[in-house]
Amino acid sequence: MKERAPDYKKNSKIRAALSRKNLKELWIKTGFIIGALAIWEVIARAGRVSSTLFPPVSTIFIALWDNIKTGEILEHLSYSLYLIFIGIGIGIVLTFILTAFYMVYMPFANIMDVVISIMHPLPGIALLPIIMLMVGLGAEAIIIVIVQSVIWPVMVNSIAGFRSIPVTQIELGRNIGMSEFRLVWSVMIPNAFPHIFAGLKIAWSRSWRALIGAEMIFGATGLVGGLGWYIYKKRYFLEIPDVYAGLLVIVIIGVIVEELVMKQVEKRTIVKWGVTV
Amino acid sequence: MKKSVILLIVIIMVLVFILAGCAGSTRESKKVVVAQQYGLGYAPLIVVQERKLIEKYYEGAQVEWIQLGSGGTIREAIAAGTVDIGSMGVPPFLIAWDKELGCKVISALCRMPLGLQTYHKEVETLDDITPDMKIALPSPGSIQHILLSMACKKQLGGPTALDDQIIAMTHPDGANALINEVEIDAHFTSPPYIFMELETEGIHQVLDAERDCFGGTFTFLVAIGTEEFRESNPRLFKAVADALDEAIAWINENPDEAAELLAEVMDMEPDEVYKQLTWEGVQFSKNPEGMLEFLDFMKESGYVTKTTDDVSELIWDNLDYRKAN
Repeated sequence: MKERAPDYKKNSKIRAALSRKNLKELWIKTGFIIGALAIWEVIARAGRVSSTLFPPVSTIFIALWDNIKTGEILEHLSYSLYLIFIGIGIGIVLTFILTAFYMVYMPFANIMDVVISIMHPLPGIALLPIIMLMVGLGAEAIIIVIVQSVIWPVMVNSIAGFRSIPVTQIELGRNIGMSEFRLVWSVMIPNAFPHIFAGLKIAWSRSWRALIGAEMIFGATGLVGGLGWYIYKKRYFLEIPDVYAGLLVIVIIGVIVEELVMKQVEKRTIVKWGVTV
Repeated sequence: MKKSVILLIVIIMVLVFILAGCAGSTRESKKVVVAQQYGLGYAPLIVVQERKLIEKYYEGAQVEWIQLGSGGTIREAIAAGTVDIGSMGVPPFLIAWDKELGCKVISALCRMPLGLQTYHKEVETLDDITPDMKIALPSPGSIQHILLSMACKKQLGGPTALDDQIIAMTHPDGANALINEVEIDAHFTSPPYIFMELETEGIHQVLDAERDCFGGTFTFLVAIGTEEFRESNPRLFKAVADALDEAIAWINENPDEAAELLAEVMDMEPDEVYKQLTWEGVQFSKNPEGMLEFLDFMKESGYVTKTTDDVSELIWDNLDYRKAN
């Protein structure tokens, strides 16, 4: 399947043009970030706003660095990531099972359609008070909220993905003698993957928001508490630069996941297999 | 070329708007915004509001009352310049003082019994609290949190020993959870919720704030005023101080009448309010007590960055610094 992807390395003209365009884009993007930060710094230092409320960027970076040095922010961050990975992991496994049953058993599909239309629009956070009553306040409650944020978007997208597979491809696969397993693995999953992947992206951002939100509304949830609790705590001690530092970490994680993880997965799957939505 | 000119204009306009927004609103000098919270401790403010005492001392005063859920929120409103007079526990005020928000105490409000309650029979001291138990209190940095830290330092050796087991909950939510024995294991709270909990069978007190945490009597809540407000209208500022004086004196002299008035506002039975107003350890006074001790402890434990020996740095000069500490 490797042959399908266009090999840019062989065509130096295309590569040069691409990198020129990329370079220009990169310049505009970094220029914007630096400019925005500079304006921020100037406004904060102009002295018209209280620096307690609107700290200069430099103060925020110093606060972030201090919090990294003491390990405080990393401790909270790793706890948040730990919860989210468990939540997403459970969510994906459950989705996989539910979707498999959905595709195979008609009545189950009908029931799930109803369940999805009830559960999908519900923000996980809105369920938290009820979940708390059932399992108590703790990591379990947050993980359930994350799982709820993962299952429905991934499932809806996976179903859409499997339904969009051209019948001819499946029939072709059967005709050349593929086993059922091979058919699912080599034809159905790659074809549905752009949809599944889009669902995963939504799941990631929804669960990340649910996690931070839950901790900010309901306080610490485990032994250390995650980033949301960190921001909450800092707010009540009026450590505003630390609050911004917490936001910065959330942004950085968002960018890392989006630019590195998601884009890499995309490159190795969707682009490589030459499938698009 | 044209595009960049338009872009430049847009950027300049945005900047102008931002800076104009920062200029601060010049308020009408007859207006004062007072922020209070929920609970028996705010009785002096309720009396000022109901008996229109600020209007009594300053004819034509426009008093706007807002009710917010926590000292932290009131502090943010003060910092943003939307509240002139706020009320909160002593530690949240000290955090504001540490961050130089430009406010000092205009009047203490009350002394109250605070404490940590649990339904676990085996928990008699902090030592018996296991790592999986959750302790609810209003927020980090609240007076309940600092009092718990004080007890932790005394009994467990470090002020932050239980910090990882804290859960932030409003007083009513926490009391509900404790009484129903769900979600939390212990609750650090204040009146009237502490009374509700202590009257529930199966709930007992682990810490009494004065006896086990602070080691003496201390002011629970204070009303604070901003420098900006004081400078923009000293007479109105004085009127607020006088109104609070009168309200506190009135509650102390007429607990019956006060209970009736408060009962109506708080939607409770007058008898019940009277019982709470005269509960042992409940006292209304304008002179703050124990602020310097709180500040020392908070500095030592790293919750604030500076301290002082001079109480007049913490209170406005309408109060007698010889009667404050």
